[in-house]
Amino acid sequence: MRVVSLLILISLPLLAGNDDSFLIRNASIHPVSGPDITNGSVLVVNGKIADVGPKVAAPKGVRVIEGRGLHVYPGMIDSATQLGISEISSVRETNDIGEIGKFNPQLRASIAVNADSEHIPVTRVNGITSAIVLPGTSGSGGRSPAAYVQGQASLIRLDGWTWEEMEVLRSAALQLRLPSLAPAGPSPTTGAGKPARTSLGEARRRVEAEKRDIADFFEQARRYQKAKAEGEPGLKPDLRLEAMIPVLEGKVPVLIQAEREKAIREAIEFADKQKIRLILANVREPGAAVEEIRKRGIPVILGPTLELPLDEDDPYDSAFTLAGELHRAGVKFAFGSFENQFARNLPYQAANAVAFGLPYDAALRAVTLTAAEIWGVADRIGSIDKGKIADLVVTDGDLLETKTQVKHLFISGKAVSLETRHTRLYQRYLNRP
Amino acid sequence: MRKAISSLLAISAATALGVFPAFAAAPGTIAIRNARVVTVSGPVLQRGTIVIRDGLIEAVGEQITVPSGAWVIEGDGLTVYPGLMTSLSTWGIPQPNASGGGERNAPAPPPARGPEDRPATTSWLHAADLIQSSERRLEAARSAGFTTSATFPVNGIIAGHGAIINLAGETPGSMVVTPSAGLYMTMNPAGGPSYPGSLMGVIAYIRQVFLDAEHYQMLKADYEKSPAGKRRPAYDRALEGVLNAPRILLPAVNAAQIERMLRFAAERKIRAVLYGGHEAYRTAEALKQSGAPILLNASWPERDREADPDAEETLQVLELRENAPSSAAALAKAGVPFAFYASDSASPRDLLRGVKKAIDAGLPADRALRALTLSPAEIYGVADRLGSIEKGKIANLLVTKGDLFQERTRVQYVFIDGNKYEPAAPVAAQAEGAAR
Amino acid sequence: MRFRISLLSLALCVAAPLAAAPPIVIRNANVLTVTKGSFQGSVVIQDGKIVEAGPNVLVPQGATVIDANGMYLMPGIIDCHSHIAIDAINESSVSVSSMVSIEDVLNPDAISIYRALAGGVTTANILHGSANAIGGKCSVIKMRWGKRASELLFQGAKPGIKFALGENPKRRGSAPPGVQGTPNLRYPATRMGVEDVIRQAFTEARIYQAEWREYYRKVEKNEQAIPPRRDLKLEPLVEVLEGKRLVHAHCYRADEILMLLRIADEYGFKIKTLQHVLEGYKVAKEIAAHGAGASTFSDWWSYKVEAYDAIPYNAAIMVRKGVLVSLNSDSAELMRHLNTEAAKTMKYGGLSETEALSLITINPAKQLEIDHLVGSIEPGKQADLVLYDKHPLSNYAKVQKVLIDGEIYFDRDKDLSERPAKEARKKMLLEREKQRQAEQAKNAPSGRQQ
Repeated sequence: MRVVSLLILISLPLLAGNDDSFLIRNASIHPVSGPDITNGSVLVVNGKIADVGPKVAAPKGVRVIEGRGLHVYPGMIDSATQLGISEISSVRETNDIGEIGKFNPQLRASIAVNADSEHIPVTRVNGITSAIVLPGTSGSGGRSPAAYVQGQASLIRLDGWTWEEMEVLRSAALQLRLPSLAPAGPSPTTGAGKPARTSLGEARRRVEAEKRDIADFFEQARRYQKAKAEGEPGLKPDLRLEAMIPVLEGKVPVLIQAEREKAIREAIEFADKQKIRLILANVREPGAAVEEIRKRGIPVILGPTLELPLDEDDPYDSAFTLAGELHRAGVKFAFGSFENQFARNLPYQAANAVAFGLPYDAALRAVTLTAAEIWGVADRIGSIDKGKIADLVVTDGDLLETKTQVKHLFISGKAVSLETRHTRLYQRYLNRP
Repeated sequence: MRKAISSLLAISAATALGVFPAFAAAPGTIAIRNARVVTVSGPVLQRGTIVIRDGLIEAVGEQITVPSGAWVIEGDGLTVYPGLMTSLSTWGIPQPNASGGGERNAPAPPPARGPEDRPATTSWLHAADLIQSSERRLEAARSAGFTTSATFPVNGIIAGHGAIINLAGETPGSMVVTPSAGLYMTMNPAGGPSYPGSLMGVIAYIRQVFLDAEHYQMLKADYEKSPAGKRRPAYDRALEGVLNAPRILLPAVNAAQIERMLRFAAERKIRAVLYGGHEAYRTAEALKQSGAPILLNASWPERDREADPDAEETLQVLELRENAPSSAAALAKAGVPFAFYASDSASPRDLLRGVKKAIDAGLPADRALRALTLSPAEIYGVADRLGSIEKGKIANLLVTKGDLFQERTRVQYVFIDGNKYEPAAPVAAQAEGAAR
Repeated sequence: MRFRISLLSLALCVAAPLAAAPPIVIRNANVLTVTKGSFQGSVVIQDGKIVEAGPNVLVPQGATVIDANGMYLMPGIIDCHSHIAIDAINESSVSVSSMVSIEDVLNPDAISIYRALAGGVTTANILHGSANAIGGKCSVIKMRWGKRASELLFQGAKPGIKFALGENPKRRGSAPPGVQGTPNLRYPATRMGVEDVIRQAFTEARIYQAEWREYYRKVEKNEQAIPPRRDLKLEPLVEVLEGKRLVHAHCYRADEILMLLRIADEYGFKIKTLQHVLEGYKVAKEIAAHGAGASTFSDWWSYKVEAYDAIPYNAAIMVRKGVLVSLNSDSAELMRHLNTEAAKTMKYGGLSETEALSLITINPAKQLEIDHLVGSIEPGKQADLVLYDKHPLSNYAKVQKVLIDGEIYFDRDKDLSERPAKEARKKMLLEREKQRQAEQAKNAPSGRQQ
């Protein structure tokens, strides 16, 4: 099968001069923004979707991809990864995730993305064409537990010769951590290395002090913003405070990971107080805070649905059903894999949610258009619509099912090779004499 | 108080001035007359008389004539119980200060690399050799009504031999009822990089030690039979200590641990006494079938006051905290031998409070008393000399005004080896409460 | 509540042996037998065993009938590598820890057992961590939730032992980053040393074996003899040499895999399974020639250097090259969806549905030498079954019911219906605890209130 697809890729330039213009015809089209087209076509011209529908007039000479028996989806968006900034999670030297210092709003994830990371092809060949790269989240190596403002998350497309070519949004969100009674430590799912015990009073005093630190920093940033706006003479540029201005202006949202109701409420309270735009991430047990999230229209980035329950007594399927519950409550959400090695499994996270109550369309939307909306790029990607960038995945079946094979992949209209480190090793050793 | 004492009055008045509770200068014969006597081994005597001579109970009954010349305590309004016994403590063994252990400044020993290094093993230690009659906790114990303790060294994996001790005596030696109560074991890893570093390592280690002990015994016997021409087996103090243990104390708090230790004891054919028992309410049947007694830690689990109030508690933990005190009742109902003790950090009065909770959770009061007197004596094989008010037994008695398990009840006297002690002033009791 | 359940089931065991239980018929199911094809029909269970399976069966008198309504019935999933339900992780102090045993530390109260059940797992090989070149004894258990530790054990499973190669067993040979000096380093620090540790151990085991043989020889001749000292470290290794204990070896790289196979050849024993075996695809030929099984992950990679060449095609290549392959979880979470992990081998390498399902049923059963008892739907085998609402290789499938020995241990409807009671119980206990604390504060001696 792969041989066939490779032949097509090789023969493409022969059929047309422009390698980012082509027509896929006779395929099932899943635009996401509208109803499925059972036998339709997508026309891509110069990397953009020029037309989509049951009948599309193709310009003469355009390269044609026969889509009989195939399905066309918009490329998926993974809303939380460390693609390009972490290669081997247990080897410090290959990680550029967590910086030293408590307040690092000036750090930008995209500029550290290694365009040659093996993770990038491995992830995209399963239909994931864009990803948020988050600094400062969990993942061993270099995590600084003391960091509150961890840096700017970037949105990248998973193809390009350099990080610059891959960059979609340099500043998609600012990642922030709010203090909690339990000191930041390894994830409760691994249980390893429990942090040292402190008294409750001590812990509360620490949390209060940390909250004051954060409030002070925001206050400092606000004064700087004002001074700058007023053209205060002699104001020395401060890169950290400078980076806070788009956040204070509401141009860049703040992303806060908050698993439980209490942490979620604290995050909302903080965002209200600071008048900043909030995205909640890694929500696990929102409880009654769901209503608050819905009312304020706060978007949520869900972690893997294939996850153990947070607490021993939780229903065994609590992580499986969460997405469905949020959907029914009217909360806007997308999925993030939060771990590079499993980023390619993003569609299965969505599928599992479907098994446990999330409508299929909502699941598909959560890994495509909803994610694009949350990150503010729905005008460019996330669905198969005229005028959008041609990030397309062509499969032999349901995009969210494991058995399904990706047959063609296009990023910005460019056919991307389906070869990866894994397929290379596969071919090499399958043919070992 | 009014008319309780006749000839003793003078002595107690004199010694009451001292810092220590009254230590009665060896009287010839003492009689407690017409008191309510809870013998534990037999029926309660509503108006009974007890005659004490030479540290022993010479007579007890309702129709006893007080010998002439005896010092008489009028028992109206008083209740006499057998002296209380904790079934597991370190009372009598001086504890290191908070500043550090006995071995401070000593360089860390090289890590153990296998069972042959006998890690965390001091099976040659005997509590009887470690106790001191001036040990500071003895007074509080006596004041709470305790006369006897099963006292053990508790550090390490195979910690050492316990002794049944009376909680007073002129010399440490005179306190010892039996120097051989059993061998105390824990499931605590050796610490640092030493073997064993895990629960499974500890169990494997103890298993190997038992096997080694059997083999050692075989070699020794063979050598003794005909030493000529044989290499003598090397003396191994760790194994000697294991071989002469009459019983083995094994820790078992939750149900999984209880069943684990019962399996281990059955496999190694150990005469085991389990200690802990907070989830014994789930495992009374298994305990009954095994025949092993269990020592219940009456310091029942409670919510940690320093825990994050928002932290999620598990149902399993909540069930445990709710039901742990009912373990005693479940064991009593199933007919499992059990006795009480308390955590090392708890005071003797806390132990009694813990037992009161067990009563509130369904344990009949007489069974509670038994588990503080005759039952531990039976478990340790000293019921022929301790644990009840019977003729010929050691005169360890507790005299109260009121029922033992009422918070208001006052301990009037305790007798240890026939010597009378009065509790320390109530001020001390309050200070003890505050110090917790 | 669980306590009550366990007592009840215990009482049943004692009072009435399984024979008294009525037969069970699961009918109208899509039956995936794994070894004998698939059909639409019924499975009859009696005395905990499958007695009949086919499109048409005779329903025994008094049978309990479960209508599957066209759902999918497959053999219970078998996980060849799990760390759930134990109160210990590693015995890291020594490089040869063969004296330790998982059986000693099983904890039947671990919620992970129930969660695994809810993911269709009925049997698992429980091992400790991978800190030792030669590790401890492992236990095969069934997910008999509510039973005692000893009742979890899979009766008739051959005993096993864990080995570990590569980064993990050598980790304690080097000081952690930033630590000066060499504080209590543990040999080995290299793969060369790992090999040495294993060869050394088996050399000792051979000497030990000879001592015992000599002793038995004397006993047979009625000569006077004292048995040698029993050595719990060497005993399991002698069992390995004598083929009585299965070796399950954690490994990653091709070089170390080959190294272990060659040690086994040298000392004349077999490696039963290579665990993880992420570079197994590079030496599949050698693995197949030795006759070792391989129990791997579907798609883990890049979490450590020795996992950087891991590929999701590993299982498929090894299958194609004649290796007996299974997929394992190594994780209390992954354990809950091994069915979709198996589906990944269809995507990566093109295994058939039956081949994919074999990786989590009959193949691990063979690797644990329990395939005569479980691992497929065949008359005579133990009735360990999972009922899915959709095809188990679909991501949309949910486990509905799980049976072990013909007894229902998981029922999704029951789980759902019991949730409110569990929540209420918890609320009540929290409330009572608050009351107790309030009373305590009230009754506390005055000294304590200061």
